[in-house]
Amino acid sequence: MPADLTIPRSPHRLPALVRARLAVALAVGSMAGAASRVAGRGSGASIRGQLMMRIAPDALANLLPGRTIASVSGTNGKTTTTHLLAAAVKAAVGADRVVTNADGANLHYGIASALAVAPGRDVAILETDERVVPDVVRLGRPAVLVLLNFSRDQMDRNHEIKSLGRGWRDALSRAGADGPVVIANADDPLVTWAARSATKVVWVDTATSWTQDASLCPECGTMLTRTNGRWACPTGDLVQPEATWRVDGDAVVDPDGTRWELGLKVPGAFNVSNGACALAAAAELGIDPEAAIRGMRTITSPAGRYATAHFGSTTARLLLAKNPAGWAEALPLTTSGTVVLAIDSAAADGRDVSWLWDVEYEQLAGRHVVATGPRAQDLSVRLLYAEVEHSVVPDLAVAVAGHTDPVDVVATYTPFQRLRKLGGLT
Amino acid sequence: MSPVTIVLVYQSLLGIYGDRGNATVLSKRLTWRGIDARVVIVEPGEELPADGQVYLLGGGEDLAQTTAVRELTKDGNLFRALDAGAAVLAVCAGYQICGTTFTIGERDEVVPGLGILDVETRRGDVRAVGEILYRWTKPDGTTSLVTGFENHGGFTRLGADARPLGVVEKGIGNGYDHSEGAQQGKVVGTYPHGPVLARNPELADHVLELALGYSLDPLPRPAIDVLRRQRIAAVSGQPERPER
Ligand SMILES: [Zn+2]
Repeated sequence: MPADLTIPRSPHRLPALVRARLAVALAVGSMAGAASRVAGRGSGASIRGQLMMRIAPDALANLLPGRTIASVSGTNGKTTTTHLLAAAVKAAVGADRVVTNADGANLHYGIASALAVAPGRDVAILETDERVVPDVVRLGRPAVLVLLNFSRDQMDRNHEIKSLGRGWRDALSRAGADGPVVIANADDPLVTWAARSATKVVWVDTATSWTQDASLCPECGTMLTRTNGRWACPTGDLVQPEATWRVDGDAVVDPDGTRWELGLKVPGAFNVSNGACALAAAAELGIDPEAAIRGMRTITSPAGRYATAHFGSTTARLLLAKNPAGWAEALPLTTSGTVVLAIDSAAADGRDVSWLWDVEYEQLAGRHVVATGPRAQDLSVRLLYAEVEHSVVPDLAVAVAGHTDPVDVVATYTPFQRLRKLGGLT
Repeated sequence: MSPVTIVLVYQSLLGIYGDRGNATVLSKRLTWRGIDARVVIVEPGEELPADGQVYLLGGGEDLAQTTAVRELTKDGNLFRALDAGAAVLAVCAGYQICGTTFTIGERDEVVPGLGILDVETRRGDVRAVGEILYRWTKPDGTTSLVTGFENHGGFTRLGADARPLGVVEKGIGNGYDHSEGAQQGKVVGTYPHGPVLARNPELADHVLELALGYSLDPLPRPAIDVLRRQRIAAVSGQPERPER
């Protein structure tokens, strides 16, 4: 059954007791959230959500039903894709019907927190952490689930990315005919393997070039082959599906063969892929591509990505890169003569910085790099072996200060958030 | 003279923790000394060169381990190279597959390894994830600290033909006792990736010296000394290796 956004739904009215507990949780949480913002710790929304989940652990189960939900997951690009899809939906049905977790708080409590403050909004566009997808599918019965990609990220926490894929696959097969229409990146073997168990899949050829994380068939473990940019298991048990939507340069071709120039304000081929998935998801929600694209073009700096910040006299563009696949996208976008690279290994960054050696920093040779953040010295040794001229300035605020020409800054998650604050963007 | 050949074995299977960095480190440490070096990346299905001087095996998931063992056994050139005097550095999952047996999957299925190290790996009672520090005994009997990051679920027991590389000060290592890693002839296995040679230039030069058969001149690089001091200081707050 395709989602029909022309008739507004009314989110379930919560039982009185649940409502009362949520109200208490929200009140307590708002105070804590404000306090944490003052103290400069984390997003207020996440703190509020964490407290809410403690006081009302079934909050998500109560807050999801009754809405038309689109959930967006994957290792990279889920924040941007969520922003693009939410903007597309808002352009079609009006902003006042749409709730989204725009700040990127994508765990149970982040989602619950966003929903709790928008009881009347019947369309929810939810960025969803890979680990939370099964619960959102089970509890919220989303109309649409966008599965972008799988790559190595935070291996200190997720030992095998395949187990995340297995979680998606099992959730989709359990949901059966009630399950979401899955918008799946056909270029990603693990996404394909997980999405296959859904009742309906819309395959998108995203023209993705990153293949380092997918060498074995998730079904049988045989080495995948790649011919003419298409992957296949030689045993034939898993092959790249025929896509109905595909990326073609800066445009997206829909199932009817119509080319849509996206004209996005967010840069890079990677975001054209994200835009293609958002466009296909919007179409599945019954939204006309023209309206969808009009909305998507309003997105310039989702949750601070690609935003321009000012640090004293320095003008800096902020790029986020969380893992080798993300760095492979971000580094070619940098154009400044001096590039600032900020590395941390807090929990949100992954405690292990081995991934530095999977990033081709060699491409920065000939430019000057400022290595900063708590793990700047690890980067320094990486740059030494890459023979890239650089200086080490561990303090973030010092590293971004005093540049006369504009600089590009690429940062892992924690320093990225600090830079947004330092630059007055949050 | 032909360049020293460093073979990165099955990068897409055994390279999920930046272990390709070990190849970068080894080749640069040679070229910076004026010794010609090249890195050859071999993927499964391609033939391994039999005339390399150093072979590198890195970390990977269960399925990748069994695939690598099967392909390397079928190929045979790793064994020929060892017979010809090559050195092997095997890290984490790569270390485990060098042994006689190891376990995979939820049901701990015991599968045969390459048998080039007299070690056996079984699922441990904890997963070892975190910074590791161990005291490595060098060939001349002196010791040096090795710093890295370990992330493995298997514990490794050494047989009579292998000797431990060092003694764990922080972290888990081989897991059953205080030992870490193993060396047997010119095969060196160790748990920390990181990649391990980036933080431990003496270990890098040890692998090169095993392969070349002569000792190398010192190669001072202050940036690496700073990093080592930082990482060793960072684990000093960590508890000593727990008794089990
Ligand atoms: Zn297969």
